[in-house]
Amino acid sequence: MQFDAKLTGEAAALAGAHDALLRRLPATVHAFLLVDLQKWSALFPAEQRYQRALLEHLSQTPADGLSRLAGGIARVETDAALTRISERDPVRFQDQAQAALRKQNLVTAWRREVDLFFQQIDPALDARLYPPDAPRRVVLQLYGDGIAVQPDKLWSRFRASGTRIPLRLDGVKNSGHYLRALLGGGANAGETGGSLFGALRNDTGFAPTDAWIIESHAALHDLMQKETAAARPPTGLSYERLLPYRDSLMRALFSKIQSGVDSPQAFAAYARSLNLTPEPGVLLNPTEVVQTFVRDVLLTGNGTLFVNNTFVEWAAAQALRRAQPRVLVARYGVRDKLKPFSSLLLFSQPRTSDVIPLIEDPVGSFIDVEQLAYYVWVHAEKSAAYRKRTLYLFLAENVPEMLAIRSDVPGVIRPPADAVSLADVTATIAQWLGVRAAQGTGTPIAPLVA
Amino acid sequence: MFFQTSANRRDVLRMLAACMADWWLPRRVFAQRREIRRPDRKVIVVTFGGGVRYEDTLAREGWVNIPHLATELVPQGLVYPVARYEGLTGHFNSTGALVTGSRQNVDAYGSEAPVTPTIFELLRKEHGLPPEEAWVIATNKSFGLMGGSKLRAFGDPYSANVILPKQLLIETIKSAVSTEAGPGVEDRQALAEQMMLALDEGYEGFGWRVFESGRALGKDLKATLARSLLDYFNDPTVPTSGDELTFFMTKEIMNRLAPSLLVVNFWDIDIAHYGAYSLYLEAIRRTDRLVHELWQHVQSLPRYRDRTTLLVVPELGRDSDVAGNGFANHRSGDDSCRRVWLVALGAGVPRGAGTERPIRTFDVAPTVAEILGFKMPECEGKPLAELAF
Repeated sequence: MQFDAKLTGEAAALAGAHDALLRRLPATVHAFLLVDLQKWSALFPAEQRYQRALLEHLSQTPADGLSRLAGGIARVETDAALTRISERDPVRFQDQAQAALRKQNLVTAWRREVDLFFQQIDPALDARLYPPDAPRRVVLQLYGDGIAVQPDKLWSRFRASGTRIPLRLDGVKNSGHYLRALLGGGANAGETGGSLFGALRNDTGFAPTDAWIIESHAALHDLMQKETAAARPPTGLSYERLLPYRDSLMRALFSKIQSGVDSPQAFAAYARSLNLTPEPGVLLNPTEVVQTFVRDVLLTGNGTLFVNNTFVEWAAAQALRRAQPRVLVARYGVRDKLKPFSSLLLFSQPRTSDVIPLIEDPVGSFIDVEQLAYYVWVHAEKSAAYRKRTLYLFLAENVPEMLAIRSDVPGVIRPPADAVSLADVTATIAQWLGVRAAQGTGTPIAPLVA
Repeated sequence: MFFQTSANRRDVLRMLAACMADWWLPRRVFAQRREIRRPDRKVIVVTFGGGVRYEDTLAREGWVNIPHLATELVPQGLVYPVARYEGLTGHFNSTGALVTGSRQNVDAYGSEAPVTPTIFELLRKEHGLPPEEAWVIATNKSFGLMGGSKLRAFGDPYSANVILPKQLLIETIKSAVSTEAGPGVEDRQALAEQMMLALDEGYEGFGWRVFESGRALGKDLKATLARSLLDYFNDPTVPTSGDELTFFMTKEIMNRLAPSLLVVNFWDIDIAHYGAYSLYLEAIRRTDRLVHELWQHVQSLPRYRDRTTLLVVPELGRDSDVAGNGFANHRSGDDSCRRVWLVALGAGVPRGAGTERPIRTFDVAPTVAEILGFKMPECEGKPLAELAF
C-alpha cells in the first residue's frame, strides 16, 4: 500500500529510512505507524524512542520472520478485502479499514492478531528500551484532605503486596503543612530546604516531563509556584485550574452537537481539530506537547471533563503510558455530588435566590479514589518502564500511616521499627531516584531503599 | 418551592403520567375497543443496562450491591450464575441480541434497527396483537429503534412501542425554555445548554443522536408537560435518576395497558463511564431496588400476578481491572465484559433453584417465545429448558 502521509522533519527522515519495511507491513500496521509519525511533534520523548526502536527492530527482522509475525493481520485484511480501499491518506484509510472490519464482523479477529503481533515483539523492544540499569521511578498517590478515609478499608487492594509504615506527623496541623512537609521542603512556609522538586530541578538528568504533578484541586500547583518561579518546573495539570479551559471545550462541543453531528467518528475528528489552549499560567510546563496531551485527556477519557478524580486517574494513566515520567505525583480530592434534576434550573448565572450550593461527596470520593489509585498502579505495572524499578507510595493527608510497594521486591517487606517523618519519605524518594537531596532533611527509610 | 412533599410529588407524577398516556395511547385503542386474544402469560425482561461485572453483583463479594436480588428474589426463582454474552460489547448490539436471540452487528449508537426479527414483532405478527401489547421502555436514549427489525416482512407494522422517558423530558424542557412563559429563570439559553449537557448523557462520549421512533408530542400536551416537569424539577428532593423515571413509566404502562411483553432497560449504571466507582455501585443498588419494586408491583396487579415471568439480566459485563480502564469501560472484549448472569422469577419458574449450566444471553428471546407461545425463527439461542412453558 502506498500512503501519502505528508511527513516532515525527523518523522519524514525516519519513515524514509524504513520505507522498505513499511511497504512490507500489512496496510493497517503501515497506516498505524504513519499516523503516529504524523503526530511526531506531539509525542513525548519516550514515545519517540519507542517509535524509533519499533521501526529499527522490525527492519532488522528477516523477511520470512516478518511474514510470520504479521501473517495473521494480513490474513484478516485479505478476508476483509481491505486491498480494495484506495485511500492514500493514512488517517482516512484507518477509518475506512475499521468500518470495513466492523461491517464484516472482523474487528475482534483483527484486534486479536494485532495483539499477537505486539506480544511477539514487545519483549525485544522492552529489553532494548528498558535495560536492567534503566532509571528507577516513583509513583506517589495522595488522598487529599477532606476525603472520608475509612481506615479499615484504606488501600485494601494492596493488602498482599504493600507495606504499611507508620508516619510521625509532628507539627503537621493541616493539609498545607502536610504538603509542604512532604514536597515543599518543610512544614512551615518559610522552610525551603529539601524540596523534592527542587532536588529534581537541580539534577541535570531531569527534564520537566520527567516529573509530573496531576491533581484534582490546585494545592500542589500553588506550592510549586510559591516554591519557585524558576525555569524547569515539573509538568503540572490541575483539574481545578483547568476549569475555564474545560468550559471552553464543553461549549465548543455543545455547539457542535447543536449544529448536528453525522457520527461519533465525525464528532471525534471535530474534537481533535479544536484549537483551544489553556490560559497562560494554568499549566506548569505549558509546552505544545503538554497542551495537546491535556486536550486529548479531556476529550478521550470518559468522564474527565466532569469528574475531578477521574481526570486525575486518566491523566496519570496516560502520562505513565506516554511520557513515562520518573516521578509522578497524583493527588485526589473530594468530588461534588451529581446535581439533582432540580439544580439544572440553576445554571451558570442563577438569580441569587436560586443558588443551590455544590454538595461535596467525601464518602463516595473515598470509594472512587481507592479504585482509581489501584488503576493507576495497574497501568504503571503494565509498562516495562515501571515494572521492577518503581517505588509506589500511597499517602492520605491526616492519616498517620503510608503504604509502600517496591515493584522490585515481591510481597510485603518488613516495615521500619519506628514511625517515620514526611521528611524521611522525601529523602527516601530522593535516594530511590538517585537524586541528591538537600542537607538537613530526613533519613531514607532503610527497607525501602536497601 | 411549590412541590415540597412526596405527596405533592406523587400528584405531579400522576398528572405527568396522565398527560403522557394521552400521547402514548393510540387513539384507536379507545375508539375501536376490538377484541384482542392476548397470551395467557406475560413476560417482563429487565436489563441491568450499561452492563455490570459479575464480581460487582452476583459474585459473593457483590451481594452487598444487589441485596434485594440476592436475598429476596433469587430464593423465589431460578438463577443462572454462568451466562455469557458473545457479541459486540456495546449497548445497542447487546440488547439487540437479547431481543432477537442472535448477535447483531449494527451501528453501536442506535442509527440502525436489528437485522433479525425481534420478539416484539414475532409476538405481534403471529398473534395479531396491537402495538400496546409490546413495549420497550429505555433510559438509554439510543434505543429508539430497538422495537423492531429492519426486515421488510416485519418492521414498523409489528414493532414494539418504544418510549425513552428521559429523552421525552429533555424535549419537553427544551420546548419550555424556548418560550417566555418558561420556568422563571433569567438566562434561558444557558438553562437549555445546562439541561442538555446534564441530561444528554451518552456516557461513552459526545455526539450521540436520538433516532426517533416516529411519534410526536402534541402542542397542548407539550405545554402541560413543561409546566408539570419544571415544577417537578424544582423539588430539590426529587430523585436524580433517569431510571426512576423509567420505572415510573413502566408502572404506568402496566397499570393502564397491561401489555404481554415489556423490555425495561435501566441504564443509570452506565455512569461508570464517568469513572466514579461509587456512583456505579450506587446505580447497581438502585437498579436492584427498582427490580424488587417492579416485582412487588407485578404482585399488586391482578392482570400480572401469577401469570408473569420476570427475567433479569445484565445486557453485558464491564472490563476487568486489568483490561482497558476496568469498570469504567466495556470494550476490551475480555471475559469480564462478557460474563453475566440471569435470574428468572414467577410463572413457570422453579423456586429457589439454581443451575451452573452455562447459558447465553441469546437464550432470552427463544425463552420469551416459548412462554408467550409464538414461533421463533432460527436464531443462536435456545429456550431455557429449566423453565416450564
